[in-house]
Amino acid sequence: MRPRRSILELFSTFLQFENDAARDWLSDARLRRSMQANLDGSASFQGNQSEQIEPTETFWALYWHKLWQSKEHPLASGHLAAYLQEVCYWSAQKLTLNLSTRSSLADFFQIAIAKLDRVLAGFNPQHSSGLRSYASLAFSNVIKDTLRLRQEVDICTDWALLHKLSCKRFVESLQNFGFNATTIASYRLIWECFKLIHAPTDGKIRKLGKPDAATFEAIAQQYNRDRISTLDPLSPPTTPVLVEQWLISCGRAARSLLYPMLVSADASKSGQESGELLDDIEFTFQESSLMKVIAQEEEKSRDDQRSQLNAILLRSLVKLDLPSQRLLQLYYGQGLTQQDIAKQLDMKQYTVSRRLTSLRQGLLDTLGKWSQTTLHKSLDSNVVQTMSTILEDWLKVHYAHPDLPS
Amino acid sequence: MFSPASSMITDILQLHLAIPETSIERFWQQQPSPFSANGICWMASLNQICLDALLPWIQEVHASKARVWKNPASLSSIWEVVNGSAIDFDHQRLVIIPTAAADFEELRVPQEWADLPSWAGDYYVSVYVNPDDQEIRVLGYVTHHMLKQQGQYDAYDRTYSLEADCLIGDFNVLWTARRLCADEVRRDAIASLPALSLEQADSLIHRLGDASILAPRLAVPFQQWGALLEHNGWRQRLYQRRLGLPEAWSVQQWLQTGISDLAQQFGWGTMDLQPNLARGANGAARVLVRQLTIAGKLYEFCVFQQSEEVWRFELQSASIGGLIPGGFKLRLLTEDLMPFENNEDIATTAIEQLYLEVCLSPGDALTWEIEPLPDSYDREILRF
Repeated sequence: MRPRRSILELFSTFLQFENDAARDWLSDARLRRSMQANLDGSASFQGNQSEQIEPTETFWALYWHKLWQSKEHPLASGHLAAYLQEVCYWSAQKLTLNLSTRSSLADFFQIAIAKLDRVLAGFNPQHSSGLRSYASLAFSNVIKDTLRLRQEVDICTDWALLHKLSCKRFVESLQNFGFNATTIASYRLIWECFKLIHAPTDGKIRKLGKPDAATFEAIAQQYNRDRISTLDPLSPPTTPVLVEQWLISCGRAARSLLYPMLVSADASKSGQESGELLDDIEFTFQESSLMKVIAQEEEKSRDDQRSQLNAILLRSLVKLDLPSQRLLQLYYGQGLTQQDIAKQLDMKQYTVSRRLTSLRQGLLDTLGKWSQTTLHKSLDSNVVQTMSTILEDWLKVHYAHPDLPS
Repeated sequence: MFSPASSMITDILQLHLAIPETSIERFWQQQPSPFSANGICWMASLNQICLDALLPWIQEVHASKARVWKNPASLSSIWEVVNGSAIDFDHQRLVIIPTAAADFEELRVPQEWADLPSWAGDYYVSVYVNPDDQEIRVLGYVTHHMLKQQGQYDAYDRTYSLEADCLIGDFNVLWTARRLCADEVRRDAIASLPALSLEQADSLIHRLGDASILAPRLAVPFQQWGALLEHNGWRQRLYQRRLGLPEAWSVQQWLQTGISDLAQQFGWGTMDLQPNLARGANGAARVLVRQLTIAGKLYEFCVFQQSEEVWRFELQSASIGGLIPGGFKLRLLTEDLMPFENNEDIATTAIEQLYLEVCLSPGDALTWEIEPLPDSYDREILRF
């Protein structure tokens, strides 16, 4: 994979996969025109300023993220998807090498990029080390989490799987499978009846067996009784045979949501038809100057706060004992899972989890107190939550490049 | 300067805790099953596991005095009808919503935990229970305020749900915020529910006591259901009826054939007195005693028949020569919580004993309460 050279390329080209390897960059015509228009607009805007600074890649990332947040620019998501291609690729590749799985690099890449909106929503421009480093962490978490869920689902029986779904995912998987609202309502009711009547009786769930005939009968009865009040009163009653069929359909829908068909990683998500291109450009010219000023200001204030933050966290880290530092290094620096660390240090996974939790608690307390006294901030849970995200991001960057200032 | 950001996606670092080895085994040894359906029993097991795994951690790391909300003996009567448990610490309540769902996509809180004034918590935490791997994971939490403001109410199953992205994924935030944001509004105001009359309660218990109604919480309007549930004595009656258990709170039976197992779990016992020490006019030789801990000290609550019609209720210190501090109150109420004449004794200064004497006919029922509240207090309906 050759590196992309220009800012124009960075925000308008996509990786092309061939035989599970990234082969080349494909340019998306709409994104290219839009980016070019913005670059031109920026140049003419710069021309009016006494001080001329060429906007950087980081600047454009913040710029598009801001437009993405305001939901006003139809191509913002496309530009960011293009921008984050390498990050996504490296996250996917690293995990393909580290984890023994039958999934391919392209599959991982697909899993991660499909959750781009969640990644963008989680990114906090004011307090992060940058979109790329944030996205790298977020993408690998998305992949790991999907794998974890697949592993769990793969070893569950169909009947256990029905107990292992949240209501949200249950309904989503049915919608995704193409069932209509009436069917979904019936299936949800049968699912609730099933869960109340057929469940493990020995404390473990993964191997939960198929209900026997009497149990299917009981589920059908319960359904027929509840359907009057819960569903359309005219909805037809069910039978034990139907109950089994319905539940099997639900299980199938749930499994298929986890293994979606691969779609190629091109620019298909990036916006509407090209007919709207002219409107886009007009929009860009009107809004851009204002947006740029904001973005540049933010970039500056972020730098100031980051150096303070750096100092306070570095001071806390130095005070930690060696085993603690080593634990943080393994988790954040080498990106090992808690399970891997447990193996390496010959501990239980819970011990690793408890220690990491407790170390982060100490750092979070420090950060909270610093913000309260130095910045005179009144805190609430949301603010502390943001700090927790900043802390996670900071630790990752710090341990990944221990020699550089974070 | 700071704006809230979704956290689930970055915080893969979730707290994992081991399920204590005996927890699962002990739960499933209970014979016969204390629940009316397999699925209810399964969810109850997840609740018990959460308490067994999470409480010791909270006690060790954050709040040594944390304890389970409700007497352990009354948890079954909750889990029979609704999912969820609670842990109290330092005047705050953490409501635990266990789930077996492996996708971690949402927190789904039954309305009871959000809208019943005596049940609601400060925090709601979603806990994934994985008994096959002997572990639980704390997935994230919200405050009551966040739950009520951002949660989606689903009338279908009477729950408030929040997508995982809206939860605070890092459990550490709860403890830091507790220390540093003391003034934060964690709870929204909750309106009390209209009281039920005894007739209404009787009829609800009769109807919902039918165990073939698997989800009694959805079978009647929430206001009625909630009022029934908040009354511990009524919830206990409902539970016994659904499980087909014999009356456990008959004082006459306790005196004749011994205290029921359930009442023993709540701390009731008997004390036989020497004939020369027998109390009351007709010389009651057997006294019912319940041990209580109030503000860290031990007390005894005694009940005995003084004459054919008169029963006497006493509260005294469990230590010899100990006194009841000023301000303590002993109060009796009817089953539907109505006061009656001379139903209260108050210690204006430290005294030896608080007592009440009441005329009762067979079949009458009373509930008692003490201020300050004893530890693990649950309202009981004593039947005479």
